[in-house]
Amino acid sequence: MQDNQQAYDRGMTIFSPDGRLYQVEYAREAIKRGTASVGGRTDAGVVLAADRRARSPLIEESSIEKLHRVDDHVAVASAGHVADARQLVEFARRKAQENRLRYDEPIDVETLAKEVTDYIQRYTQSGGVRPFGVALAIAGVDPDGTPRLFETDPSGTPCEWRATAIGGDRETLHAHLEDGYRADADLGGAIALALETLAESGEPLDADNVEVTTVDVESGRVRSLDPETIEPHLADLDIEVDDE
Amino acid sequence: MSDFVDPVTGADALGDPGAPELGAIETGSGSGGEDASRTARDDGAVNKTGTTTVGIVTEEGVVVATDMRASLGGRFVSNKSVQKVEQVHPTAVLTLVGSVGGAQSFVRTLRAEADLYEVRRDEPMTVHALATLAGNFARGGPWFAINPVLAGVDRDGSHVYSIDPAGGVMKDDYTVTGSGMQLAYGTIEGEYDREMSLADARDLAVRAVEAASARDTGSGNGVYVATVTGDGVDIEGFDETADALAPR
Repeated sequence: MQDNQQAYDRGMTIFSPDGRLYQVEYAREAIKRGTASVGGRTDAGVVLAADRRARSPLIEESSIEKLHRVDDHVAVASAGHVADARQLVEFARRKAQENRLRYDEPIDVETLAKEVTDYIQRYTQSGGVRPFGVALAIAGVDPDGTPRLFETDPSGTPCEWRATAIGGDRETLHAHLEDGYRADADLGGAIALALETLAESGEPLDADNVEVTTVDVESGRVRSLDPETIEPHLADLDIEVDDE
Repeated sequence: MSDFVDPVTGADALGDPGAPELGAIETGSGSGGEDASRTARDDGAVNKTGTTTVGIVTEEGVVVATDMRASLGGRFVSNKSVQKVEQVHPTAVLTLVGSVGGAQSFVRTLRAEADLYEVRRDEPMTVHALATLAGNFARGGPWFAINPVLAGVDRDGSHVYSIDPAGGVMKDDYTVTGSGMQLAYGTIEGEYDREMSLADARDLAVRAVEAASARDTGSGNGVYVATVTGDGVDIEGFDETADALAPR
């Protein structure tokens, strides 16, 4: 099996006899090695939360960015290769501005997600390149006020979710989201569920090692929560919190 | 070329917001020499609409009236039955003003753009988005000698825009473009009322074209009337402008 597989996993554009693209599957493995990010959508808006725990106490935690603002009304969470994520985030930012230049309107979240996944797909069908080793959760509020949450994967398939987790421990986190998800929760409830879900991955959370970004329906704008704002949300949760 | 390239085609993965998605812009780099010759081509002995085109907004919808004459420089009538208002969107129309070739190509391109937008996003373009796109094309694209009226209805209501050859996009309650514009404006001025019915606005638009047809050598030979509501577009042609007026 090993020899057989190796013949088909070198060229990006070569199918294995059973119809698989090994490079795309390896890219998904790269995502699983990343720390998790969680996204959830309710009637009140969309929430993204990410674990940015540092590998060393010497790292400035604020320099580990996993949530990115793309436009006034769209933000992105990433899991996997950070450098790859930055390229896709930059692509999404330019596409969002291109829509404003062309139509003088903010881009809707679905169109933006599909622009990004179409771009990702091109990197599965060309020789001499590798696929993007990153998954994105694209969260935003459409110009008509509808909250949306999309996920991209290395094959370039877009998928819309009510709530999802990307990165390591995805199955555990999804199970927690499935139990706790409520579509009519307010934004605070959505933040609580996202933080609880992140806590499922094991390590204790504190306000400095998680990032939280919201896009609420009322304002339609991206808001990045600072640690002082995250603190009370964590205190309300029945989870293990890092007190130091 | 941006930093983002399609690895399969080698093309730029970001679009040009000023260029149509389909149909290459022939000017390429947009160098001054080619632009100048193109402008000269549209300015030469080609069919012009001369024209009076009127768009009026009401609460119920918009009405557009256009004359039916094509001329060579306003001195010779080259066609007496031109339809100068065309549907470009499920609930929007565009008038053909200026070079006939440029205006027809502009209409075809806007239709393709509006269709692609709608089929991809599962909702029609707003009239403002369509006007912005038309302005971008007029400014950066191969269409120079055009000056259309764009009129339509969307979820925000009724809208009329004028698009000038340099890409200027102006929204108004009523607007007129073409060689008979001063005569048509004179008819509408003082008569327009924001609360007027669609039927009254239609009569006003027809009378404006009628006045221009009487005195402007570039306008005449009847009237086409388009009415646009949230339900769609209806376009009718009349060889005699009087036939387009509601019976009194």
